[in-house]
Amino acid sequence: MESESARMSSREEARFRIQDPNSRPRVIKVIALDAASEAAVRRLAAKPWQSATFLSAAAFPRAATDFSGQSKDLTKEAGAADLVVMVASPGGEAHAASVIGEACSAKRVMTTGLLIGAGAATEDAVSRTLSQLRPWSLMLVVADPDDYIADMLTALRA
Amino acid sequence: MLKKEHSDLITQTGPGTPMGQLFRRYWMPALLAEELPENDCPPVRIKLLSERLVAFRDTQGRYGLIDEFCAHRGVSLWFGRNEDCGLRCPYHGWKYDVTGQCVDVPSEPEGSAFPNRIKLKNYPLIERGGVLWTYMGLPETQPQPPEWEFATVPRTHTITTKRFQECNWLQALEGGIDSSHVSFLHRSELNTDPLFWNARANQYNFNDLRPVFEVVESPGGLYIGARRNADDGNYYWRITQWVMPNFTMIPPRGDHPLHGHFWVPIDDGNCWAWSYEYHPTRPLTEEELTAVLEGKGIHVKTDANYRPLANKDNDYLIDRAGQKAGKTYSGVHGIAMQDASLQESMGPVVDRTKENLVSTDNGIIMARYRLLIAVKALADKGIAPPGIEAEHQKVRSASIILPPNQPFKEAAKDAFVARPAVAPVSV
Repeated sequence: MESESARMSSREEARFRIQDPNSRPRVIKVIALDAASEAAVRRLAAKPWQSATFLSAAAFPRAATDFSGQSKDLTKEAGAADLVVMVASPGGEAHAASVIGEACSAKRVMTTGLLIGAGAATEDAVSRTLSQLRPWSLMLVVADPDDYIADMLTALRA
Repeated sequence: MLKKEHSDLITQTGPGTPMGQLFRRYWMPALLAEELPENDCPPVRIKLLSERLVAFRDTQGRYGLIDEFCAHRGVSLWFGRNEDCGLRCPYHGWKYDVTGQCVDVPSEPEGSAFPNRIKLKNYPLIERGGVLWTYMGLPETQPQPPEWEFATVPRTHTITTKRFQECNWLQALEGGIDSSHVSFLHRSELNTDPLFWNARANQYNFNDLRPVFEVVESPGGLYIGARRNADDGNYYWRITQWVMPNFTMIPPRGDHPLHGHFWVPIDDGNCWAWSYEYHPTRPLTEEELTAVLEGKGIHVKTDANYRPLANKDNDYLIDRAGQKAGKTYSGVHGIAMQDASLQESMGPVVDRTKENLVSTDNGIIMARYRLLIAVKALADKGIAPPGIEAEHQKVRSASIILPPNQPFKEAAKDAFVARPAVAPVSV
């Protein structure tokens, strides 16, 4: 007689898997930390997403804005999310990372740092930006192409 | 989540599929050399990338990997007689050499040219590091033989095992690059497994149960770093190598051997999990070899067909009492079967449209991203994927302590390169 594992993991049994949705949309905030990453995030913001919103903190310490130009309170925005994705580019000034990171830490919000365009950057530039992101990122990704952000957000059901 | 069409694209590896074309650009482990131990030994049936093949070693020691079925009436040549430099079909005596060329059709007149017109599909089969490797692509794109360090160190320094895994290759690979499961599923093994215990850095694992992950693109694939707090404000890094499409190397511990996997598609619902263990600068000890053969570390005890003794037919010999007593986290014994049992439980090909990935799954997300880019680049523009060049294969994983502000890709770059007679960087 076949065991439970043998029967239940067969291809035939897959049709009995429950098809009801198993999650609700999560709130994801994608925040550009510098001018170069702002351009990439602006392109993303123009696409349809179910639960992601996009901000720029490139002018920090001036107020953050969304891509319609409206001012946003970084602390409030970050604290209200399920996940905050901070996007930076090598050599950029990612000073807003600490404010965002502290807000996320206080509200127990997951943070991901995304360093884009690292392939062509100098070691110094990568190192400087990484050291700004690292203390505040529970996950850090160093990617060369910026189109990875869209794939990542899709994978996370943003 | 991953769209169904994208999941199909990178899980289906049969002939003519885009991912199948990508796999057919690499040398892949096909058999252990021990499976064809001597000239004229019995042939071996094998399915790779959804193609049924038979392997044999002829009278002169040459290896052949050819279509499993006789061109005459479709009989399996696994029943063939391996004799006088060829594999002879027992039905009507048609005989094939290691290139698949028919060399004798006894029913035809002696000297007939008819056998010249019969040739079975064949692939090269070469021995390297105790493994028989095959290349299933076009002859004009055949790369140099594999340069993975485990396959090029002296035979006394290396041992490789394989096991049958009943799920798609990508499911198994994704387990190999999913660093965040280790703290749960394998937490009981660090101090008890002879291929892991007594490393100084194990203490960092136990002291910091919430590692932070960094995923960085490498020339051949990805570096997946897990960062924990070490002494004096430094970080303890464990950095896994993934080289496209299906090679992984686990970070080392102390002076234990380096180890890792190849995940080779058999068909779209099964794969071979290859597990290597080697040390670049010394022979493996008797204790290490015994541990491997007893199924310790990332290895498994199998039957003669390389199917694990603990498998889904016996519910993986799950030990609920041991689970409750804290001997294992999942109730399944052994690191490899802990992984395999859960990966097989997902079904032959997991439905990725239903998954809810989280941020710490970025290693998996990035790997899929790179695979999709590579498969499309090859299909649309003929661009060769990463991982074929020798430089991409001469790699090592590392465990290393670094100051907090350093990017590990630069700070550990020497550690990532396999250099003959240079010890691995390991804590």
